[in-house]
Amino acid sequence: MERLRRTMMFVPGNNPAMIKDAGIYGADSIMFDLEDSVSLAEKDAARMLVFEALKNVDYGNSELVVRINGLDTDMGKADIYAMVKAGVEVIRLPKTETPDDVVETEKIIAEAEKFFGIENGRTHMMAAIESAEGVLNAPAIAKASDRLIGIALGAEDYVTNMKTHRYPDGAELSFARNMILHGARAAGIAAFDTVYSDVDNTEGFNHEVEIIHELGFDGKSVINPRQIPLVNAIYAPSEKEIRNAKAVLNAIEEAHKKGSGVISLHGKMVDKPVVARAERTMALAKASHLVDKEGNIYVE
Amino acid sequence: MDTIKMDLSDPYYYQQWKKLIENEGLYIENLDDITETIGIYDEDKLIATGSYFNNVLKYLAIDQEYQGGNVFNKLVSYLISNLASQNIFHVFVFTKTQYQSSFEYLGFKMVAKSRFSTLLETGDYSIDQYISELPKVSGNNISAIVMNANPFTLGHRYLVEEAAKQSDMVYVFVVSQNASLFKTSERVELVKAGTKDLKNVVVITGGDYMVSFVTFPSYFIKSRSDVVTYQTELDAQVFKRIAKSLNITKRFVGEEPYSPTTEIYNQSLKKILAPEIVLEVLKRKEIDDDIISATKVRQAIAEADLETIGKYVPKTTFDFIKMNLKDLLRRINNGN
Amino acid sequence: MEIKHTALAGTLESSDVQITLSEGKGISIDLDSQVEKQFGKQIKKVVTDLLAKYDISDVKVHVVDKGALDCTIKARLIAAIQRATDTQNEQNWGVLG
Repeated sequence: MERLRRTMMFVPGNNPAMIKDAGIYGADSIMFDLEDSVSLAEKDAARMLVFEALKNVDYGNSELVVRINGLDTDMGKADIYAMVKAGVEVIRLPKTETPDDVVETEKIIAEAEKFFGIENGRTHMMAAIESAEGVLNAPAIAKASDRLIGIALGAEDYVTNMKTHRYPDGAELSFARNMILHGARAAGIAAFDTVYSDVDNTEGFNHEVEIIHELGFDGKSVINPRQIPLVNAIYAPSEKEIRNAKAVLNAIEEAHKKGSGVISLHGKMVDKPVVARAERTMALAKASHLVDKEGNIYVE
Repeated sequence: MDTIKMDLSDPYYYQQWKKLIENEGLYIENLDDITETIGIYDEDKLIATGSYFNNVLKYLAIDQEYQGGNVFNKLVSYLISNLASQNIFHVFVFTKTQYQSSFEYLGFKMVAKSRFSTLLETGDYSIDQYISELPKVSGNNISAIVMNANPFTLGHRYLVEEAAKQSDMVYVFVVSQNASLFKTSERVELVKAGTKDLKNVVVITGGDYMVSFVTFPSYFIKSRSDVVTYQTELDAQVFKRIAKSLNITKRFVGEEPYSPTTEIYNQSLKKILAPEIVLEVLKRKEIDDDIISATKVRQAIAEADLETIGKYVPKTTFDFIKMNLKDLLRRINNGN
Repeated sequence: MEIKHTALAGTLESSDVQITLSEGKGISIDLDSQVEKQFGKQIKKVVTDLLAKYDISDVKVHVVDKGALDCTIKARLIAAIQRATDTQNEQNWGVLG
């Protein structure tokens, strides 16, 4: 069962107060940032702060991600070594342009795992795509390594590269979103949407989340904990969807009991994608506290 | 909230800065006495600012709405980190007494305090360390003289000689002040050379603590007529703290009948040093009915008038000036 | 290891700690903390343990604590040590393990 990644909360890597509290907001993933949110003079300090936090702070079930500095800087390699050593789940590569960027990062991660005597492949990766070049290469980037759990759109740099700005209707991101989504789906990994920086504009934020939810993104990057429940609300399945999903899962169970290989519901055959969707719907319903552990719908 | 460096020569930033500074009841002094200024913004609004000059924090102001929160810590922290990145770790702040505890809360320690203000410091050096590094002497009758000696004249020599006659031991503190014509190191060397024969005299660099009080920032003193009193009282308190730990019981100063500032200074000293330390005002030494002063010596240097210089300074100082006349003239022309 | 020059790490913001290391004889720790009564001993222990791991025996430490977690104190001290010994990019994995 694939894990839910509705929200990936950005946490500046040199801010102890935010690092300390990052686990309490219920983000599906927490991304500690060593890159753009940390000034050059503080790169070394942020690396140690995130290192110690990963080792010592309890973040519950959240998936832990660290955005490292690019390998074109002299911090990138040091970041990877420290994060691998600290046992991070996912290393996020910024500004990915080509599949080679992923391969090169993977090489260093593997080197670090070997150096520390850590099982090869334990550290996962994700790639942020933040330029025209990266968007055009998205399908290849998504398949560049088995370690990749997802690719993400980084819109701030992307719109600059495209000589445009962010606009409320999101037309400027339409091509990039679709490329990244297709790349991710073709590779069987997750697709994350970019951040929305105007934290006070709930309406604008909701509108954007609706767009990416409809497109099929796994989730959205958030920069403020207040954005988490908004995303979750939009990703929460409707009661009808939950009932359908339950029916599908019941049908599977019945088929198992009968020892039948063929699953049918309302006289129609249930195939694999339908099962996967039903499982995802139930997972979302549980995460949204719409059903109990057994999958029973809470009655208001 | 974003923190940025503010370029005050840009009217856009200057106007925002000035508005916040004045709203907070601060007074803008000379902008040349600012090395760097930072601003903290909430969206497009400047909500806090702070500056520094060398290792002194200045012009700290926070918008009313944002006071009492984390903004003050953020501001001071950012300034300290900024200085640290330039390898400046020993940092001072002069502030209204009501803000003393706010700074102590951030690890600052009080150096001295007067009616109008508190001087605090933080970092890798402290007044206690300065005191512990000073040579200790024994005796019942230990006195002190604080002088700028820019440069050391026969007038200074007379003051030291008189003090030496009346004391078991005399500490001569040479004020740190690199804006002077003679550099601090040169002034110290000339005082040492000019008092070498006096066995009970110890010459000491004032370091970060004996500085010219006119350099004390006064942007937070609302009533401008209080400025000199504030500066002199605080200076006297710093001296008192050092003097007490060295068992100094008397401070000698030269009479300065024509300088109202010095008169205020001597009044402040007298008031604050009592009762532990007595202030002794000595009459100035005159030559040809003329008071000797370092100002006159510097004028004579500007005119390359060696004859006049020779009248006012001991041989040691004279030799130095003669040897370095070209350099000194160059410094004068460059505005020192 | 020897402290080569003064170095500072961390900030004065809430949940952080500002640590200044400078040359000294022996280890002296000057701690400013609002929670000194409750946690002063613990904070000093975190500092002295880590200094020992880095084999630093002569240093002056100024700690201004704003309610930092132990792991934050450790992280800031490591950063300060690396800065004071000019080893920012040479992690001592033996100590960090």
